[in-house]
Amino acid sequence: MTTSDGTAISISALSKSYGRAKALDGLDLTVATGEVHGFLGPNGSGKTTTIRVLLGLLRADAGAVRLLGGDPWHDAVALHGRMAYVPGDVTLWPGITGGEVIDLLGRMRGGTDRRRRDELVERFDLDPRKKARTYSKGNRQKVALIAALASDAELLLLDEPTSGLDPLMESVFQQCIQDVRREGRTVLLSSHILGEVEALCDRVSIVRLGRTVESGTLRELRHLTRTSITVETTDPLTGIDALPGVYDTVLDGRIARFDVETAELDAVIRRLAPLGVRSLTSTPPTLEEMFLRHYGDAADDARVAS
Amino acid sequence: MTGTIGLLRFMLRRERRSLPWWLLGVTLLMLVQSTQSQSLYDTADDLARLRETIGGNTAVVALSGPTRLLETIGGEVVFEIFGFLAIVVGLMNMFLVGRQTRADEEAGRAELIRSARVGRRAPLAAAIASAAVADVAAGALVAAVAIGTGLPAGGSVLLGAAVAATGLTFAALTAVAAQFFESTRAVYGSVGFALGAAYALRAAGDAGDGTLSWLSPIGWGQRTYPYVDDRWWPLLLPLAATALLVATAVVLLERRDFGAGLVAARPGRPAASRALGNAYGLAWRLQRSALIGWVAGLALLGAAYGSIGNSIEQYVADNPEIAEFLPGGAAGIVDAYLSLTVSLSALIASAYGVTSVLRVRAEELSGRAESVLATRTSRLTWLAGHLSVALAGTAVVLLAIGLGEGAAYAVTVSDPGQVPRVIGVALTYLPAVWLIVGVAVLAVGWLPRVAAALAWAAVGYCAVVQLFADSFGLPGWAQRASPFAHTPAVPTEAFTVTPIIVLGLVAIVGLAGGYSGLRRRDLGY
Repeated sequence: MTTSDGTAISISALSKSYGRAKALDGLDLTVATGEVHGFLGPNGSGKTTTIRVLLGLLRADAGAVRLLGGDPWHDAVALHGRMAYVPGDVTLWPGITGGEVIDLLGRMRGGTDRRRRDELVERFDLDPRKKARTYSKGNRQKVALIAALASDAELLLLDEPTSGLDPLMESVFQQCIQDVRREGRTVLLSSHILGEVEALCDRVSIVRLGRTVESGTLRELRHLTRTSITVETTDPLTGIDALPGVYDTVLDGRIARFDVETAELDAVIRRLAPLGVRSLTSTPPTLEEMFLRHYGDAADDARVAS
Repeated sequence: MTGTIGLLRFMLRRERRSLPWWLLGVTLLMLVQSTQSQSLYDTADDLARLRETIGGNTAVVALSGPTRLLETIGGEVVFEIFGFLAIVVGLMNMFLVGRQTRADEEAGRAELIRSARVGRRAPLAAAIASAAVADVAAGALVAAVAIGTGLPAGGSVLLGAAVAATGLTFAALTAVAAQFFESTRAVYGSVGFALGAAYALRAAGDAGDGTLSWLSPIGWGQRTYPYVDDRWWPLLLPLAATALLVATAVVLLERRDFGAGLVAARPGRPAASRALGNAYGLAWRLQRSALIGWVAGLALLGAAYGSIGNSIEQYVADNPEIAEFLPGGAAGIVDAYLSLTVSLSALIASAYGVTSVLRVRAEELSGRAESVLATRTSRLTWLAGHLSVALAGTAVVLLAIGLGEGAAYAVTVSDPGQVPRVIGVALTYLPAVWLIVGVAVLAVGWLPRVAAALAWAAVGYCAVVQLFADSFGLPGWAQRASPFAHTPAVPTEAFTVTPIIVLGLVAIVGLAGGYSGLRRRDLGY
């Protein structure tokens, strides 16, 4: 069970239904060893189900799943010794303190580095003596994060790990993940916070309705989307909106604002150059825009379906 | 105090779901005791005989109350039921006041209320007032039931007032505890302890010279001697105590910050002890306090049963005409009584086993099992952790039943040899109880969504067979479906090992079958 091929997670055509509800419908996901992989999608798109299949808590209906060179269902216990998990909605035992939970989960995982554990407790500013019933959502999240980060796990599965953290703790979390990356460990990070994904992730997969709709590096994904251009020219701008790959043109005399498909960028710039470009701003698409495009599609689908 | 009336209305509205159940419980306790006592001891002779047998039985006096109450039939009802009424009403007041004061403050709800035009003392005043309303209702119901079942009106009203006054004392005590402690659990813990201490003090007092009973609110209520002396003045004690406690609560309230207590919540351990390192350590830690509660409760129940075993013998000895109807005669009745009471307690032990197994399902549904199973802990180890509590726990509970009943009976008959004998009777039921545990595990493994219903149905079925098989005329096969029917009814019957082994094997099949289901299925839904 080694990862000689350099792939930590490989999922193809994974399907899972709960009764009649289809949670996963042919999902594909490949995470290379040592990368931080962003796992994006709206609520209910199947991210948590995927992670639960990877943990061997759910049995796949169809599809192939390999995790650290093993089968997540059959080799669950052996694989769990090499990975750590932070659930999206952390629930703890009300009568047990945060410090005790961290140690308990650490020991169950096969031992914790005591020094690193104490250092993380300090960095995340957690009071480990409080009973879990008195912790806020953010503090419960910290307990699970510290337990996971204090381990030597090769692979971290993080399901929206920062949803309850304040901006200060969010930045501590980002530093910790950068450290993890430097150590060559692998991270699957499901997240809603796009700034966090842009800052941390080498590659991104976007899922919708139980399927992967896009996957690649952020640069590759940007190629598939549009760049916003604002341009001012000496000669009047005409016929821009008729060019292939140009959308949402707002024309105001010699100033134009439009979006252009990244593949058509070159042709459009050639068309603009003879008009005498006085100023030009180009904004690459943010992850947020890419994401919203898929949210938008989802909303459209919902409207069609209803 | 601004806003007290509005808050009181709001609190009573919040309590409209739980309060009726408490009041129903009080009503039923009184109804059952009053009708039962009046039919059992319907002549002056019966009552005199009861005085003779019970008056000399220290254990019964310690469990119930002062023997002076046994002068009249109404007094006999009070003798038997007042302690239970006081505990039920005490708990009702504890939860009512605790919920409305410290629990609200801890959850942050009280902050919203206090930010409105509401005085600092208003929530406390409204909580005490709502408790007073509940206590008056409970007292009125007790009095009404007593009069309705034919007891004299004067004593019934006094009894109702005594119940209400006892309840109010615990409401005021809870109000003080709510100022003192930062966590609601500590409030409930301390008041629960005080309630137990009040019961223990009057038990020691009634069994001795009576002095200690005057230190207990339950003792004060009993010493009004309803239907015997009908004296009202002892009720001045709970009223004075209530006034003093409420005043103390107000003083403390004025001296503390919102959300804080006088005693800060005790911080827990910053790191786990050696014991908390695997699935077994976790399961025992999670189920520890529940197990202690069940063990204590069933040891007490056993002691209650055991303490009157000897009286039953004497009662039958005094009534030879009854003994003629019994197969074993006067000698056999104690054994039949021990066998019956232990089997009923064993049924309760199996209920404990079911609650323990269902923790597995609760852990799964809450998502906490996910954190554990994402580590190197296998499903087998995780299940085994909780099952070790269920299996060993039921054994300890049965041991406690045998010890409680055996010790109490041994004291009354001055025969220490009864202790191991009754413990042996109790442990005979272990395989049957484990079989019920096995059924619960099977249900959790294969039919998780209906597991709780199935497991409780199994316990319920055994209870019906045990209690009503003869009166319902259940067919033989229906009776044999209960594992308790296969357990040899020692000491009446001879002990046979074959059914014990068969029951044990069936239990093991259930446990293994449950695991094989759990191993195969999806987790967490």
